[in-house]
Amino acid sequence: MILTRPPLRLLHRLALGLGLALGLAAATPQATAQVLTIRSAQVTPATGDVLPPDAPAATVALPDNWSKSRPGYAGLLSYRIDFEPFTSLERGDLLALYIAHVCSNFEVFLNGHLVHGGGRMAEPVTHNCNHPQLVSLPSALIRQGINTLDLRVTGHRLAEVGSQQRDGGLSALVIGPQSELAMQHARRTALQVSAPQAVSATLMLMGGFMFVMGFVNRRESHLAYFGALSVGWALVDARLWLRSLPVSHSVAEFLLCSMLGFITWVAVQFLMRYAGSRERWVDVALPVQCALLPLSLVLAGPTRLHLLASFWYALLALQVLAAAAWHLRREWHRRSVWLMASMLLTVVVAGAIEFAAQWGGTRPLAAHLAELALPVVFVLVGLRLVQQQGRALHHAEQGKARLEQRVRDATAEIERNFRQLSELRVEQVTERERKRIAADLHDDLGAKLLTIVHTSDSERISTLAREALEEMRLSVRGLTGKPVRLADALGDWRAEVVSRLGQASIECEWQAPEDLPQRLSSRAYVQTTRILREATSNIIKHSQASQCAIRCTIGDGDLQFLLQDDGVGISAEVDRRLDQGHGLASMKNRAKQLQGQCLVESGPGQGTVIRLTVPLDRAAEGS
Amino acid sequence: MKTILLLEDLPEIRVWLRKLVLQVFPGAIISESARVQDAIELVKSVKFELALIDLGLPDGSGVDVVTQLRDSQPDAQSVVVTIHDDDEHLFPALQAGAFGYILKEQARELITEQLQRISQGEPPLSPSIARRVMAYFSAKAKPQASPNNAMPTVSLTERESEVLLRVAKGYTLPEIGVQLGLSRHTIADYVKQIYRKLNVSSRAEAALEAQRLGLFR
Repeated sequence: MILTRPPLRLLHRLALGLGLALGLAAATPQATAQVLTIRSAQVTPATGDVLPPDAPAATVALPDNWSKSRPGYAGLLSYRIDFEPFTSLERGDLLALYIAHVCSNFEVFLNGHLVHGGGRMAEPVTHNCNHPQLVSLPSALIRQGINTLDLRVTGHRLAEVGSQQRDGGLSALVIGPQSELAMQHARRTALQVSAPQAVSATLMLMGGFMFVMGFVNRRESHLAYFGALSVGWALVDARLWLRSLPVSHSVAEFLLCSMLGFITWVAVQFLMRYAGSRERWVDVALPVQCALLPLSLVLAGPTRLHLLASFWYALLALQVLAAAAWHLRREWHRRSVWLMASMLLTVVVAGAIEFAAQWGGTRPLAAHLAELALPVVFVLVGLRLVQQQGRALHHAEQGKARLEQRVRDATAEIERNFRQLSELRVEQVTERERKRIAADLHDDLGAKLLTIVHTSDSERISTLAREALEEMRLSVRGLTGKPVRLADALGDWRAEVVSRLGQASIECEWQAPEDLPQRLSSRAYVQTTRILREATSNIIKHSQASQCAIRCTIGDGDLQFLLQDDGVGISAEVDRRLDQGHGLASMKNRAKQLQGQCLVESGPGQGTVIRLTVPLDRAAEGS
Repeated sequence: MKTILLLEDLPEIRVWLRKLVLQVFPGAIISESARVQDAIELVKSVKFELALIDLGLPDGSGVDVVTQLRDSQPDAQSVVVTIHDDDEHLFPALQAGAFGYILKEQARELITEQLQRISQGEPPLSPSIARRVMAYFSAKAKPQASPNNAMPTVSLTERESEVLLRVAKGYTLPEIGVQLGLSRHTIADYVKQIYRKLNVSSRAEAALEAQRLGLFR
């Protein structure tokens, strides 16, 4: 909702500004003293191009509506006015004649000379009904004293036109300085011609755009209908542009009236679709009516056009009114309904004024304003629709972005899972392969070594083979084993070391912490087992010790062993020999492989101290 | 005369084992076999007091022979003689009813001693096997493991558990005897009892499993 506020305010201001400007333009200033308003004229029916003779004439009051003063009359009428020119014209200023309304077309003669022609006087007659007229009266033709002004007006009877506005007639005439009247004329033209032209041009563009938008996206069908409504209205207003249509008056009137059926169709559909509803019978009925209207006009003939058109207008207006009421009722729960409600209210008020003007037969300023208000409302509604569409687009883009993000996340997740899965699979395959190798080693190499162990005559070969077998078994365990709990590892080591030393009658004192949560990789477990086994073997074979203390501690992330015996120690000579048998050297080497170290301190007669350090965190890595 | 079954596929090792067995049990009658099938046939026809059984054989696993022997000759003592020292290989054999195990590559004297111990009712028990046994019984102790208590529950006594725990920590049997103030003999009895319970429990479990399969068939 936050998003909608600024555009709504903008719409407000726009509407306010537009209204103000129109009001200013329409405000007609009071005529000054210099201006002469003529409210009566001598009128004679005229034929041909010849000016009527002076004699047989009747006096009529201006404005003169033919439907009232001479019902059923169509054709030419000649109005004659006598006037005295002003003496106090400013230098360089011209005298001019201002006609607020003349319908359909006219010519002006000053003292018998043609000074202005509005277009074609015979069929197809030029339509000037909406256009205020300003005619310059050349100074050269103006006489001292009485001057005669002749207006030849051609018009149609009310029965043949769709609107009072286009019935034959002449408003009051104003004669005065051109500078004065030009302003009045300009204001009036702005209100009746330029502003509607501008708005209808806007409508045409906007309507076309929205029609395409709605047509492309069928779910937004209300846009298409609104676009058609706008374009339709702009076409009706096109008569302001096209004064001299190449078709006869009756055809033009017929087309104009027919358009209203179409406009009603799309307006009602817009109101329904915009409220998110669709009725099949409406979908059918409206186009049928749209076709019936021109048919009825044709059947009735041009002479009954006004009667029939008035009937249709009322019917169509009622339909639009009903659709508007229905729309508002459906949308009443929405917070932004006031916008559409005020627009529709404006339309209804404007329509009411228009109807009143039709019945009253006069066109006050309000009627012109009402006529202008309709397309302005359409433009505003159009802007609102565009705004909504833009917002929907924005939301859709946000949604799309969110969706894309979700897709990206999901893809990443799938990739991750896939990676894990393939890692798992690699692990499984590796595990299986290791097991196979282990089984092969045991069955084949193990069996052969075993045979050597138990069949060799040489004790040394037998021992070597046994050691090789033990080595192989440890290697296989390093290959296939899982991480070992440090507590379990210590149990295994203790059992082996203590029982071996016990069998060799060496008293052993083993100290180790209990309940250790750490884990040891199988590699570290195997290497440490080898080191301890070697150290134990050395004590048993070479130390001649009677006592041995083994202390295990955990400190600084290291597993530390201290093996101390009370034996003879390692002489330099023995040291070398041990190294030859890969004793001490291999112990040190294995510790180094685990990123640890194995230190041997000894001297003849001092016993031996072995310090073994294995880093735990490193040792726990891998399997 | 002691009647002994010797199941071993490697001829040299079989010869060597035969000599060794005769050394421990002079005058024993030894039936030799190199294949699981042959051994099972022998078990059907001959009554044995002791059986030395290799695990990895060309036509199968020695565990089958252990099972067969336990079923048909409950008094016979099965001893696994193997090159595998890991509990993954040994534990199934122990569950099947083997009463101890001997690692083949050990020195003659060591094997001799172990054989004597076993025949006297003192089976060996390594820390890793002890842990495995503890894990087996603690998993069984969980309620969901035996849903309807259809089988007689076999559980370890406190003392047996205590002995197992200490073996798992790396203490030797004599050490445990000293710690608990018991004789070496008593400790050996506990270990024997643990082996027996492991076997009984495994058999009951297998029977129940068979029954369940039968019910669902």
